[in-house]
Amino acid sequence: MQTAGSAVAVGVLIAFAAWAKIAKPMSPLTDARARALMAEEFPGRPIDALWVATDGAGALARSGAAALVLCEVGDGYVARHIPWAQAVASSFRDGVLRLDLSDVAAPAARLAFDAWPPLGAEVEAANTKPAKGRKTAS
Amino acid sequence: MIHAPFDPVTLAVPFFVLAVILEIALARFRVTPSNYETRDTMASLSMGFGSQIAGLLTAGAAFAATIWVWEHRIFTVPFTAWWGWVAIFFLEDLTYYWFHRLSHERRFWWAAHVNHHSSQHYNLSTALRQTWTGGVSGTWALWLPLAFFGFSPAQIAIQKGISLVYQFWIHTEAIKRMPAWFEAVFNTPSHHRVHHARNPRYLDRNYAGILIIWDRMFGTFQPELDEEKCRYGIVKNLGDFNVLRAAFHEWIGIGKDLLSARSPREVAGYLFGPPGWSPDGSRETSATLRAQWEAERKAG
Ligand SMILES: [Zn+2]
Ligand SMILES: [Zn+2]
Repeated sequence: MQTAGSAVAVGVLIAFAAWAKIAKPMSPLTDARARALMAEEFPGRPIDALWVATDGAGALARSGAAALVLCEVGDGYVARHIPWAQAVASSFRDGVLRLDLSDVAAPAARLAFDAWPPLGAEVEAANTKPAKGRKTAS
Repeated sequence: MIHAPFDPVTLAVPFFVLAVILEIALARFRVTPSNYETRDTMASLSMGFGSQIAGLLTAGAAFAATIWVWEHRIFTVPFTAWWGWVAIFFLEDLTYYWFHRLSHERRFWWAAHVNHHSSQHYNLSTALRQTWTGGVSGTWALWLPLAFFGFSPAQIAIQKGISLVYQFWIHTEAIKRMPAWFEAVFNTPSHHRVHHARNPRYLDRNYAGILIIWDRMFGTFQPELDEEKCRYGIVKNLGDFNVLRAAFHEWIGIGKDLLSARSPREVAGYLFGPPGWSPDGSRETSATLRAQWEAERKAG
């Protein structure tokens, strides 16, 4: 009886929260916003190059031998770093890059790009040429 | 007295529901700044609902152990003595502080507690995001000394319930600060926001249940600073809103690490080291994140 009542209450509260539309306001990532988030998530890791997803729902940065991944989840973001070589070799199909994050807390990330690997990603990050999409070097 | 004549948590459920409705309504009409994401709310409330069920699995064993210890008690605290309630108020809250600190500083117990912190939101629904695996993690044993001193199982259960109910209302961004005297003595929304924040400076701080005095005494107090806005969640946030992931991800992580362990030292480290412990120190712990932040602050 009590359990059934609690279940009903849970349903009512979820519906009410959905009706209120009070999630954090989200807008597609800009280059500056992506950099600010990366700085929060990965303090002390300099960004050699950054690519913002074409839909603005995430970003990927190179920091030395690491790829820093930022991905939108609901009205927040989830961040992980993986080896850069692994990011470059990740599966890319129909404009979506699928990254294996090797973590049960966040197993995979999907980022939309025009092309992958980005042009110039193989050479030293410092002299990368502009890639297709919204890549910027710092 | 063995069986509590009432359960504070059950009595408070209607208040929980009304308070969540009020918080959402106030945010909807822009009176207060709370945020609710529907799938996050669904996960939090489902975890609260599920914890009630999961708790039943181990409640019997925990209760039986409490009764057994109480039967071997050294004193007897009468259920109706006023001084008994004053004493258990402080002693239970001190127990809670150490339970909570253990739950953050040692991975085995963090695995049971992490789900409470796994939301990137901080609202009244977050308060209900309760553990499913607390019973099997055995932390209820920390309350057994109270029974050994002579507090009855009923009195312990009631005081634990009062603490849980108290901690509900502090999970909100709707209240900025309480009066200074209140902030000095009691756990408040401001203090507990810090506890839920993942900013390096705020990690592993403010373990209080009802009274913040324990954090002040044991050196884990950190006031909320206007210049450092809380960012909520865990160091490595969850990739989706799956409640099973929230409930079990750290346990699975422990299991995977144990399979790769090459020595008893590694087994011990993976189980009872601080969350993020690794044999070569390649993963981040609260301590390394805090040290890195300190170094950058000094350099910058
Ligand atoms: Zn905690
Ligand atoms: Zn909390």
